[in-house]
Amino acid sequence: MLAKLLKVMTWWRLVVLASGGLLLAAAWLRFTGGLGAVTNLNDRVPWGLWIGFDVLVGVGLAAGGFCIAAAVHLFHMERYEHVAKPAVLTAFLGYLLVCVGLLFDLGLPWNIWHPIIMWNPHSVMFEVGWCVICYTTVLGLEFSPIVFERFGWTLPLKIVRAGYTGLVVLGVLFSMMHQSSLGTLFVIVPDKLYGLWYTPWLPVFFFLTAVAGGLAMTILESNLSFRAFGHKLDDDLLDGMGRVIVVVLAVFFVWKVEDLANQGTLALVFERTPESVLFWGEMGLGVLLPMALFGSEKIRRDRSGRFFAALLVVIGFVVGRLNVAITGMQRASGVDYFPAFWEIAISVSLCVLGFAAFGFAVKNLDVFPKGELAHARPPAEISAWSLRALPTTSPWGIASLWALLAAGVWLVLGTGAPSATAQPPATTPAAVAAPAPAPVPVAAPPAGAPAAATSGAATPAPVPALPTQQALAGGKKLPADYIFPMAAGSPGPCTFSHARHMAAKDAPKCPTCHGKDGFRTDRPGALKEGLLNMETMGEGKTCGACHDGKRVFGVEDDATCEKCHPAR
Amino acid sequence: MMKAAILTDISKCIGCGACAEACKTHNGLPPEDEPRALSETTWTFVKRVGDSNVRQQCMHCLEPSCASVCPVGALAKDAETGAVTYDESKCMGCRYCMVGCPFDVPRYEWTSNTPRVRKCILCHERLQAGAEPACTAACPTGATIFGDRDALLREASRRIAAEPETYVPHIYGQAEAGGTGVLYVSNVPFERLGFKVAIRNDPYPKLTWNVLSKLPNVVSVAGVGLVGLWWIIRRRDALMTGRDPGGKPDAARVAHDEPRTPETRRDGGEQGGDHVG
Repeated sequence: MLAKLLKVMTWWRLVVLASGGLLLAAAWLRFTGGLGAVTNLNDRVPWGLWIGFDVLVGVGLAAGGFCIAAAVHLFHMERYEHVAKPAVLTAFLGYLLVCVGLLFDLGLPWNIWHPIIMWNPHSVMFEVGWCVICYTTVLGLEFSPIVFERFGWTLPLKIVRAGYTGLVVLGVLFSMMHQSSLGTLFVIVPDKLYGLWYTPWLPVFFFLTAVAGGLAMTILESNLSFRAFGHKLDDDLLDGMGRVIVVVLAVFFVWKVEDLANQGTLALVFERTPESVLFWGEMGLGVLLPMALFGSEKIRRDRSGRFFAALLVVIGFVVGRLNVAITGMQRASGVDYFPAFWEIAISVSLCVLGFAAFGFAVKNLDVFPKGELAHARPPAEISAWSLRALPTTSPWGIASLWALLAAGVWLVLGTGAPSATAQPPATTPAAVAAPAPAPVPVAAPPAGAPAAATSGAATPAPVPALPTQQALAGGKKLPADYIFPMAAGSPGPCTFSHARHMAAKDAPKCPTCHGKDGFRTDRPGALKEGLLNMETMGEGKTCGACHDGKRVFGVEDDATCEKCHPAR
Repeated sequence: MMKAAILTDISKCIGCGACAEACKTHNGLPPEDEPRALSETTWTFVKRVGDSNVRQQCMHCLEPSCASVCPVGALAKDAETGAVTYDESKCMGCRYCMVGCPFDVPRYEWTSNTPRVRKCILCHERLQAGAEPACTAACPTGATIFGDRDALLREASRRIAAEPETYVPHIYGQAEAGGTGVLYVSNVPFERLGFKVAIRNDPYPKLTWNVLSKLPNVVSVAGVGLVGLWWIIRRRDALMTGRDPGGKPDAARVAHDEPRTPETRRDGGEQGGDHVG
């Protein structure tokens, strides 16, 4: 039995099982302890890795689906048919995973359907929600013929095929809206998103980079499918995609630089800040370098060169999205955020499960054209994806490319991330606020106890060398002592001292005496109105509220007269 | 309609904390000693900055970002009272309000299984009953007062004009973020008190509405354009099929055709035709 189990248990299946287990464990923790139990999110950083990576990156890298579908079904580039089905499948799975990620991230995920009936068209998130719902549905329908064929359901197949062009048009429109709206989300935070990334053009930039990133992902996927399934690679076709990526990235780059210049933030690029390092990582490694690589026909037609260039685009895309969602917001938030273990675990698990679902679909459905799977190996061998296995035309060239990538990653991670923590945020309230008040020397009353119950002045006897009044009340500026006029028959003048009251053990709080019904500092007149005298105090009003002989010494206790009225 | 507002005069505040106490009592929030920041259980408190006492609370913007970004309208500007209120039965917990608020006010119940967004709601139900908010009612010095926004703006201007040597000549909240319901006058420059002075004077929701309002046009034009392209290219393919004696236009075309962006596609079509021809 065990031997049999071990036989089917490949390394890859083990990873998938572990991911599933991790996801279930995370779900248990998340839904028993709240978001705080599994994330490092807080009031200053309400969005973290799940929004930055699972949603923004996940949706963006699914863009290959609508690009290829449009090329094949709208622009009649039939040769892209070979990658259309896998691209649509990737997009569909990607969107399903985004939905699962959202279920983790939303505070009240069972209300996820609310935007369907509770409308706020002014909200970008409302648009995003509708796009997720609509485009996931469209992707499901776009993918459905493969499932219908598999089970021989002819009627639904006919219906979907009849409206397929319409579906693709809808898919392109929803994708355009969704990709751009994810950028629009951040158009409302001009003060929070760092100047290198904030721009009203964010929606356009998100769309352009999604097209480049989505196509690059399709190239990567084709290479990986080749490794895993022996799926034939069409060089002409991938060459074509490489050219489109160059054009899209070039448009993006020129537009981005012009926008920085227009906004007057171009100088930030050349300042030495953690943000500029990340920006250079995103632009240099993720845009300029792959443009140069894809610009060369030799590299475009070389499987490894193409793979490497596409990988750079995808990495640049991921860095770019995380820059907007997380690192670009860090300075304004004033706190450092790094995802908690469970945030990373869920993100990674979702990726693994996505790959597993892709492999399952390829194995059981007609995703790749017939004949191309002739040399397919079982998905169990997907684990054989490794860099050394990549065929190369020029080992030295490839080695130097990888070294370059490693250096870039080191630069971004090593220089950028840690120094982001060292850089004091310049624009947060903390920077302009005064230092924290001096420690309060008075013991705080027990939490929950009514303030009045804890009030009282312990010893009005000569207070030895008081510290400054400032320090006494935790930094509160206190008025000078007040000497009450003597009434007839008074044994001596009474001096009220804020400082002494506040210095006392179990000191009263300001609202104990000041408040609607207490001593109003805007209307000092308690004495004139005859409120403050021995009779009213005896009735438990004004000072008598606390000086009742129980909480603190009483006003009517003959033994303690001198505490307030020191004899001359 | 009265625009409910609060005017807080920082020069008059003694930092007694009566407002914070009253807020806790009225809203049934657990007490907290010496709060240092707003939290899910502290909707207002008096922050000590230098020698000044700065009461912090939701600004109740005239055009609130939080209400604008909320996909389900859980946060809303009450038309009657002007309070920015929260309906937890609508909320789905996306926390976009926290990201979108230019004043960083909304707080979240991170450790709850049914978390809510928490912030000052201007004692909305008290306003409906004709009373003033608990905090202003409790203030012993008149440092924070409740009233109609226009009247409070006049009062603020009057104070500044009457004592120009005392007050900074600025009413914080008059123009910030398009105007807020909570106004401040101060004897200390606002930037030294931790106020966000880089805040824009235009309402923030305008920024996203500028984009969203263009969507219907962009989408309809793009939709028509896409269908048009499909129709033109299909026609071209049909013509090519007619010319090609082999009857396999795709194979012939595919061999020469380079991929193009949709914009350049029509030109490419003619070239493709040349190849076939």
